[in-house]
Amino acid sequence: MSHSLNEIEALSKRAARGAGLSWGIAEEGARAVRWLASHDLPSGPLLADLLEQTDQVARETLAPLSLDGIWSAASGTLCPLASGATLNDFSDRMSAGQPIEMARVSHPLLVVPFAAWAAIHLGAPIKISWLSVRIITDGYGIWTDDPKNQISETCAASLICGKATRADEILTKPSLRGEIPQADWARLGKLAHRTYAPATEESRVLGAGAGISDND
Amino acid sequence: MNVTQTNTSTHAQMRAPETVMRLAQLGSFHQSRLSFMRTLTRRMTQENWTFSRPIFEINDQGVGHAVYCAHTPNRTYSLIAFAHDLPAEKRSDRVIAQAWDSTFTLFDGIPTRDDIIRLQQNVPLQEAGRVTQSELSVSRANRSVRLWEHVVARLAAGQQPDLAEVESVGYLMRTTAVYGSGKLGAADRECLAMRPECAAPFQIEMLSVFLTRSYVRDLAQHMANLRGGEKAVTLDPEIARSMGIGNSTGLGMAPFLVNHPILLNNWIAAREEAIARVRNLPTASADEVETFQNLFARSVLSANIWHSAHPIQIEKLTTLRKDLQSLAMHIEAANLMTDRPWDRLFIWADAHLRPDAVECLASLMLEPYGTLVDPLADQMSDNDAASFRINGAMTVEALNVILTDNYAWAMDIDWTAKAASARAWYVSEEKLEPRLGERFEEPIAEFEQPLAPGRDAAALYEALKEWTPNVPIASFLLAHPEHRHTVRRAQIVDQAPFAEIRDNTIGSDLLPIDMLRCKLSFFGATHFDPRSDRWLRICLFGNAPYPEELQSSASDFWPYPKLEPVHP
Repeated sequence: MSHSLNEIEALSKRAARGAGLSWGIAEEGARAVRWLASHDLPSGPLLADLLEQTDQVARETLAPLSLDGIWSAASGTLCPLASGATLNDFSDRMSAGQPIEMARVSHPLLVVPFAAWAAIHLGAPIKISWLSVRIITDGYGIWTDDPKNQISETCAASLICGKATRADEILTKPSLRGEIPQADWARLGKLAHRTYAPATEESRVLGAGAGISDND
Repeated sequence: MNVTQTNTSTHAQMRAPETVMRLAQLGSFHQSRLSFMRTLTRRMTQENWTFSRPIFEINDQGVGHAVYCAHTPNRTYSLIAFAHDLPAEKRSDRVIAQAWDSTFTLFDGIPTRDDIIRLQQNVPLQEAGRVTQSELSVSRANRSVRLWEHVVARLAAGQQPDLAEVESVGYLMRTTAVYGSGKLGAADRECLAMRPECAAPFQIEMLSVFLTRSYVRDLAQHMANLRGGEKAVTLDPEIARSMGIGNSTGLGMAPFLVNHPILLNNWIAAREEAIARVRNLPTASADEVETFQNLFARSVLSANIWHSAHPIQIEKLTTLRKDLQSLAMHIEAANLMTDRPWDRLFIWADAHLRPDAVECLASLMLEPYGTLVDPLADQMSDNDAASFRINGAMTVEALNVILTDNYAWAMDIDWTAKAASARAWYVSEEKLEPRLGERFEEPIAEFEQPLAPGRDAAALYEALKEWTPNVPIASFLLAHPEHRHTVRRAQIVDQAPFAEIRDNTIGSDLLPIDMLRCKLSFFGATHFDPRSDRWLRICLFGNAPYPEELQSSASDFWPYPKLEPVHP
């Protein structure tokens, strides 16, 4: 179903929060889903998969343990949102030409938007690769090479992200609309629902300050 | 992002965010030249927009639809209005309502029959329906039961409505939500941002309300004609013009200000920059002073006819009227023409008057200076997606400086005291209505939204004490993702000093209506009428020209009531 990008971002943020992510990571994860959706890449299904798989898992076990060498998680699998945010925070490391490498990342496509924001910050295109997938982005446009159809793989043994050496590819520009399959929209909606307070008569009367007639 | 810049050749600087961004100050704001309704009516007049009503098919039960078109030099926007027959017991202004007297969408272009059929199946359902990228807003309105029946009955009987009745309500219908920016599947703001008529904020929503006002007037006349037959008379244009569109605004607008820090900064910064520019004028001409004095008199009148039954507002109005009297006496004796007249006047007011009158004066001083002020309207949007990125390379020490510079007010609050965090903002599962609850009395804390930046900044400052000053904030965030949203805000506030409300937004003494008034003043609303501490009624486009009057009236000063009384 066609959605506005604001709708996609709003629901994704609530879903991520509902699954227990911090507000800050939820905000960025939602922007990441928006970014992917604007490029007509799988986004909602990936976020729903990730959040369902890591539901109730302690978040700190999914983030990079150490930033020396290859990044890895205590649980064995890195969360793409936690590692994506860290990659963006430490993106200056890539400006000297030093790539960032991660071991065992779930839903690696979700790392790409964070690399895109790093590209804008560095003012240089970034290349991200996992399995047979190669992606280059300048932050706005994207070029993808996916010969084995592995772009929405649920896990990559290794992901490498660094400054692109070639920047002559033609980058596809984002659109202003996104598609999220109805079933995945419903999965995200279910997680988002956890952030809504149950309706009670007291909250209905007091919470929004009614009490005086609004039918005059 | 508008970074605060003060021209070195000037003397008066922008007011400090520590003063402006307090809730008591924001809750005293008044409309100005930069308000979004006025930006729209100015543009419509300057660009000679034309208007048409290609469809008006409404039966004697008041059911049907109508289309109102606004033709800009380059494109057409159409308001599609659906009129319904609403049983009285279903009429409610709450978000949780499920049916309305009329429902609307603003369409990008001119709708075809098929578009209208598609929208007829969706727009009347509002949140339960779905629209597309061709639609720019979705809204609904309810009648003022009292005034609607009075006006229709009078016109049907061949008489004009009673002026006292009209004045006491001010509108025939009130909108209870105007959704834009991608809600319910509509076009995102980014789809329109490049259009010059959408450069200022909320122009689509304001256009929708402007056209709704014409529809409501026409519908009342139509129903009166059907009821009265040959006896019916046409509503006097002066009385029609005095009526705007009412609006009930609830808690949803308060989180909006906190959730859009750069937008808030750009609104406040534009107005503060305008105030500083005017204060720095060395002299004023006789014409400029006359414009100011005329509008000042009309502001005094406006304060006198501003009614509210709410105790807080009654007290504020008493103070405002008293302060405007003092200001009138001061102005009578003051030299308004030479020696930096506006700066001197403003300094006097700031020292002698309370916030409501000070903000009223601040807005009034801008009125004679369209050339100086109006271009700032185009800087009030938020087109800066890059500010969302956290600068991870910033050191702990640098972040500490930002926190102490901008959140000292928050560190002075004892957040362990129950009164300091008595409230929590949450979203109800009932149509996702935003609500404010009592943290220690209701089971809501686990659903709390991140709308207490002061408390969170104080907690961040505490957490940072354990960290070495020269460590990059990225390392801290890896260990403490729970502070991530607060670090982002602090870095934004460092660049955009008016981005943060510098007050406790969860304290026991919080008045959400202060936040609502701030936002609505930028829309251009007047005569705020709180109905509790958390929702209020206002009137939009009251006294504004109707579409067909824009060229002949040619007055940008319509928000100020005229000194001579309206008479049919």
